[in-house]
Parts: sequence; C-alpha cells; structure tokens
Amino acid sequence: MTLDGVLLIAGGIYWTLVVTVCAFLLGAALGVPICAMRVSRSRVLNAVSVSLIVLLRSVPPIVWIFLLYFGLGSGFLTINPVPAAIIALGVITAANMAEIYRGALSSIHPGQWDASHALGLPVWSEFFDVMVPQLFRVTLPSATTYLIGLLKDSAIASTIGVAEIAYLANFLSNKQFHASLQIFAFAGALYILISLPLAAVARDADARLRSKVAQ
Amino acid sequence: MERTAEARPIVEVKGLGKSFGAHKVLAGVDFSMRVGEVVAIIGPSGSGKSTLLRCLNQLEQHDEGSIEICGIQMRADTPIPRKDMNALRRSTGMVFQSFNLFPHMTVLRNISLPQERALGRSRAEADERSRALLDRVGLGSKADQYPARCSGGQQQRIAIARALALDPKIILFDEPTSALDPEIGLEVLAVMQELAEGGMSMIVVTHEMHFAETVSDRVILMADGKILEEGPSSEVMRNPKSPRAQQFLHAVMNR
Amino acid sequence: MSQTLSFWAEYLPKLLSGLVISLEVTGAALAIGIPLGLVAALLVQSKSRSVRWTTLAIVEIGRGAPALILLQFAYFGLPSSGLQLSSMGSAIAALSWTTCAYTSEIIRAGLQAVPRGQNEAAMTLGLSRLDALRFVIVPQGMRVAAPALLGFAILMLQASALCFSIALPELLSRANLIGTTTFRYMEILMLAALLYAAICIPATILVAVIERRLGQHTA
Repeated sequence: MTLDGVLLIAGGIYWTLVVTVCAFLLGAALGVPICAMRVSRSRVLNAVSVSLIVLLRSVPPIVWIFLLYFGLGSGFLTINPVPAAIIALGVITAANMAEIYRGALSSIHPGQWDASHALGLPVWSEFFDVMVPQLFRVTLPSATTYLIGLLKDSAIASTIGVAEIAYLANFLSNKQFHASLQIFAFAGALYILISLPLAAVARDADARLRSKVAQ
Repeated sequence: MERTAEARPIVEVKGLGKSFGAHKVLAGVDFSMRVGEVVAIIGPSGSGKSTLLRCLNQLEQHDEGSIEICGIQMRADTPIPRKDMNALRRSTGMVFQSFNLFPHMTVLRNISLPQERALGRSRAEADERSRALLDRVGLGSKADQYPARCSGGQQQRIAIARALALDPKIILFDEPTSALDPEIGLEVLAVMQELAEGGMSMIVVTHEMHFAETVSDRVILMADGKILEEGPSSEVMRNPKSPRAQQFLHAVMNR
Repeated sequence: MSQTLSFWAEYLPKLLSGLVISLEVTGAALAIGIPLGLVAALLVQSKSRSVRWTTLAIVEIGRGAPALILLQFAYFGLPSSGLQLSSMGSAIAALSWTTCAYTSEIIRAGLQAVPRGQNEAAMTLGLSRLDALRFVIVPQGMRVAAPALLGFAILMLQASALCFSIALPELLSRANLIGTTTFRYMEILMLAALLYAAICIPATILVAVIERRLGQHTA
C-alpha cells in the first residue's frame, strides 16, 4: 500500500466524523422527547415510545439506511447519501439515548426530587440546576460508549456511497486488489485510532466530574 | 474432655510472618499442635486469626518463617512444589464463615464431586460416602436439594460433611458460626463437638467463647498479628496473664 | 395495499430462504465465537504477559474495528495473502471474531461476579485449577452472563445483514436483488425489516423477562 493510498483512506476521516457526530447530536436531541414520553404518566405516550424504541432497535441499522436511501429514493423522496445516513443512524441513536436517559433518571435518588420540592425551587430550576448536572454525569460514560459504537456503525454509510473511511478502502481495494489485506487492516486501525482519544476524553471527563462530587 | 492425644505434631509453625502491602498482619507466630488436638484461636477482629488459618493451607502465601503441616514443609523463601500443594490440600479440610457451597450443584454433588476429582473415587463410591456423611450430620433428607433451599445452619453442616468426605487429617474452621444466628450456630457447634470427640485434629478460629473453653483442648489468643497467650483452654480463658488479654476476655465474656 | 400484499406473498419465499442463511451465519458465528470468547476471557487473566497481550490485541481489534471492515478484510483482504474464503466462510470467520471479542468482555464480567469464596472452596477441596474453572467458576459465571449473551445474539443477527457487502445471499442481499429487478425497493425492504423485527422483538422481550427473573433471584 502506497503513501497515496494511506492519504486517500485517511481523507475519509472527515465524512466518518461528520456522519458520526451529526447522527449523535440528532439522536441525543431526539432522545429527550422519546425519553419524556417513556417516563410520562400517559399510557398512550408510553406505548408509543416503547413501540418506537423496540422497532428502531429491532431492525438492523443497514436496513434502516437502505429504507431511507433506496426505499424512499425509489419514487417517493430523493435524499442524498449523507443526510440519509445521518437521519437513519440518528433516529436509531435517539431510541438508544432515550433508554440511556431513562436509566440515568432512575439512578437519581428520589430524595433529590423531594429535597428540591422541599426547598421550594421553581420547576425549571429544579430540573436544570439540580437534575441536569447529575444526569449529565451519570449519562456520560454510557453515552460515550454508545458514541464509539456509532463511530463503527457509521462504516455502513459506505454501502450507500458516502465517501468515508470504509468506502474509500473499498474503492482502493478494487483498484489495487493485491494490497487489499493492508488496505482493510489500515482502515480498521483508523477506526480504533479515532476511538482511542474519545475513550480517553470520556474517562478524563468522568474522573473530573466524579472528583468534583467527591469534594 | 478426656482424650489421649498422640505426641506427634501435626502442625508446626515457626516465625510465621505475613504482610498485605505495608500492613503487617502476622509477625513472628510460633505454635505447634499434636494429632487429635482441638485448638481454638480467639482474639479481637483484625488480630490476624483468619490470616493465620489461611496461611496454613496456603490460601495466603506467607512471607516469613516456615509451616509444617501433616509432614509437608513450606518455607516462605522456596516455592512449594505442585505435588506438595496437592498433598496439602488433600490432607487439610477447610470450613468457611460463608459456607461456600456450590450453589449450582445439589447437596449430594457438592460432596461427591471433590471426591471424584481429587481422590478418583467412582460416582457410586463417592455418593455412598456422601450419603453416609449427610446422615451423620443429620441431613440425609437434603441430598437432592440445592443449597439455596437449606438454612444457614444446614448449609454449614453440609460444608462440614463436604470437607470430611475427603478424609482430611486436620480441619480448619474459619469462624464457622459467625454468619449464623446464635441458636442456629449451636447445631453447627454440636457437629463440631462430635468431630472433636471422635479424635479429629481441628483448628477453630472463633468468637464462641463457650466452645473455646469447653470443647477445645487449647486456646491461642491473638492480638495485632502476634500470639498473646496460649495454653490449656480453661487456664487462658479464666486466668489470662497479660493486661491486653484480660481486657479482651473481660470485654467478650461480659457481653 | 392489496398490491403490496400480493407482491410480498410472491417474494416472501425468496426472503425466507435468505433469512435462513442469515440465521445460519449468526448461529455459526455464535457457536464458534462464544467458546472462543470464554477462552479469551480466561486467557486475559493469564500470568504470562505475552499470552495476555496477544489476547487483548485480538479482543481490542475485534471490538474496535467495525464488523463491516472485518468482513471485507476476510473476504477481499485475505485472498491477497493467499487465503481464499467463500463469502459464507469469510462471514463466519469475521463475525466469529467480533463475537469472540465482545462476548469475552461479557463472560469476563460474569466470571468476576462469582464470589471469591467459590474458588477458595474449590482449592481447599483439592480441585485442580482447571477443575475449579470447569465445575465451579465457569458454570456460575456463564449463568450470570447468559442474558447479556442473548442480547448480544440479537445484535449479531442484525450484524449478519452486513454480509450483504460481501455478496452472501442472506436476507438483505435478497431484498436488495429483488429491489433492483422490480424497482419496488420500499416494499421489499419493508418486508425484510419486518422479518428482522419478527425475530428480534420477541427475542428482546425474552431477554428482558430472563433478566427480570434473574434479578428477582439475586434480590
């Protein structure tokens, strides 16, 4: 594998990150209302959110991407590959983030709600000043684990033509078949390399938030 | 408590020392016991009693000194050959505070499996021996149950039967009744007393002062990783010499 | 609607035969990968540093690289080093690797959940280290790991859809092929999605039930 090849595949990092980060942000935002429905007292909202979560998680991500790109694209609504990948992965992420938020909510001691009621805090302050910082801390480790998983899932965007790492590896492998082994090994190593600092940042942030609480 | 203990030592400990990191748990422990003797080790928590017991069968490796048990030599400065380790495990039995029965096996399998694997007995031989031992500890009817269906006292009696099944020369008891309600502890102590009367060599780390005084031949009182007093049970229990021992016994006897 | 239904009825058999292949790949990957995962879980605790590091490398690559890349590595990459695998062979090899890597972590957590006293009891009863693992530690650890392993099996069935990229005629490949010939992508992909869901939803519920039941026992 030549230096040109290395540079070509490394150029895919850009789209890999765009798809991963955008899908994550979309999912983290959409996860909030899904989680809210999930913990609401309304039976109907509950059922809607549970079915949504189960359905989104029970169909493989690559099938969702195909449904959006080829399915909708076959005469219904044309979507470009990048938004199709972001929306499909983002919606799946929303279902998973909703469950992560819910786990975090249930891990906060009920005494915290009682305490903020007793202090007579207004509802918005109760939520944003008391709950959100705690939720953030509890959510962080599982959210980062999910983000790293999403980074790897973003490779399936290559199947609809997004020019990210896996796509470029495929492209190069078609041209230089004899070097396929190194090409795919390098592509795999790139994903691992990207996830290492992510994991480190998460560990660091987690430790810092914890030590704040410990004092 | 009349019994004729043979003069041959079964355990001989010299200059035993053990540290966990910078913390010295045992320092300069010497003692010996003869075949058929029952020795109770008492003392405040953190005095190193359990660690001493766990060094004897090498669940913990000692850092200093030497241990001889059932003729097997173990020096802190030389690694113990696998052959000796196997012999050690075969000649010593152990009963734990938390019973440690295998929860995924029936009571019978708990007792039979080690016989099959460690002694090479056939399934039929092992089961026969297991059932006989279960009858002996009064739990013959529990053979096909799972441990979770037995009370704590029953589980501990099963654990004793499991240790006995391997025909050990000595049994080490690590606070066998501490996890049990006092009344339930009595049924376990009764089984242990019967063993003692049958001539089994036993070392018992315990908080049961009554057992220490009436069943054991000798008491070792430990504090801060050292042996503080040692001697015939009634003597140590009734007339301790050092102020530290007096203080401890005063505290536990007046509870 | 009735058009869609008759279209589905016409192509369902083809998709079902694809689903069988999906299930075969998944089953084979689990049957090979989980025992390897157990071995890896034991080897990362090895005293030998070289064994430990080699195992860690295998596990970390299997977890760190996307399954899609592993599949393509096995199918397109290995032939260039002289090892030619069929698409079925590459699929099983790559997904077994992923399974081994992920399940080794799940199983390691299960083994660590077995109380230390269990191993100590086994030692004092004269069981060899191997016997202690075989009869005492592994059966209990695997029981703890079972719900998480089942959950992973569901993810693996979903991952088998990635074999589309190495021309394995599994469920998604068949749906895609039917799409290219009929141009009715939406309908055929929806049917494929329904088939995945028809297996994964009941399986997810089953895992939740098992988890709740195990939780009750320990509580």
